[in-house]
Amino acid sequence: MNEVFEPKMLAFLCNWCAYAGADLAGVSRFQYPPTIRVIRTMCSGRVDPLYVIEGLKDGFDQVSVFG
Amino acid sequence: MSVVEQLLDYSGIGRKRMALRWVSAAEGQIFADTVKELTESTKELGPFDAQAYNLQLAAVERVLQGPRVRWMTGVDLHVTERGNVYGEKVDEQAFRAMFEQSLKEEYEKALILEVLGDGPSSVREMAGKTGLPVYTVSLRLNDLERRGLADLQKFEGSTPRFVRLAA
Repeated sequence: MNEVFEPKMLAFLCNWCAYAGADLAGVSRFQYPPTIRVIRTMCSGRVDPLYVIEGLKDGFDQVSVFG
Repeated sequence: MSVVEQLLDYSGIGRKRMALRWVSAAEGQIFADTVKELTESTKELGPFDAQAYNLQLAAVERVLQGPRVRWMTGVDLHVTERGNVYGEKVDEQAFRAMFEQSLKEEYEKALILEVLGDGPSSVREMAGKTGLPVYTVSLRLNDLERRGLADLQKFEGSTPRFVRLAA
């Protein structure tokens, strides 16, 4: 374990809401931590609860769904 | 998603390992803030050791795929507000309590099935591996036997050993 723990977080973003929101955050140059790995989905309703478990299984420290 | 949160709590992984947040397309700042906040809370939790929770994660997966939970999720509004086919309404709190109870049962059963997947085992061994009380294991095992998912294999001395039947 090194000095500072950087969490690895998986994020499912809805194409129409959060993905655009994330895009806007990037365009407006808001600072946010580089800890998330984004997966774009066409709708956050498409995200099966099993995906969350799968994410944790694959070694992510946290999994979130943004709608 | 509340189902997953509940299950993560039961499994000892903790609901903070997942989150469902609403961010609209116009809310770039909110998105940045949310990511920041979630990063902080995850930092506090520390790294997640998936290996240590192998059994629990497999059990949670099994529960989510199981028919009982699939049936029960999504019918809450139907049953509490519109009533069932007989026009009977169920009290919302009663429904929630029932749902939590069955979720817990399903999770315990899934744990047992996962342990049995490694080979025949006695009730005491199962209790040791799952961390459930011996009595609870017996109860759930009984249920699994009735459903034809597990069965008595043989006696070792006076200790009964059980096996998993279906995949």
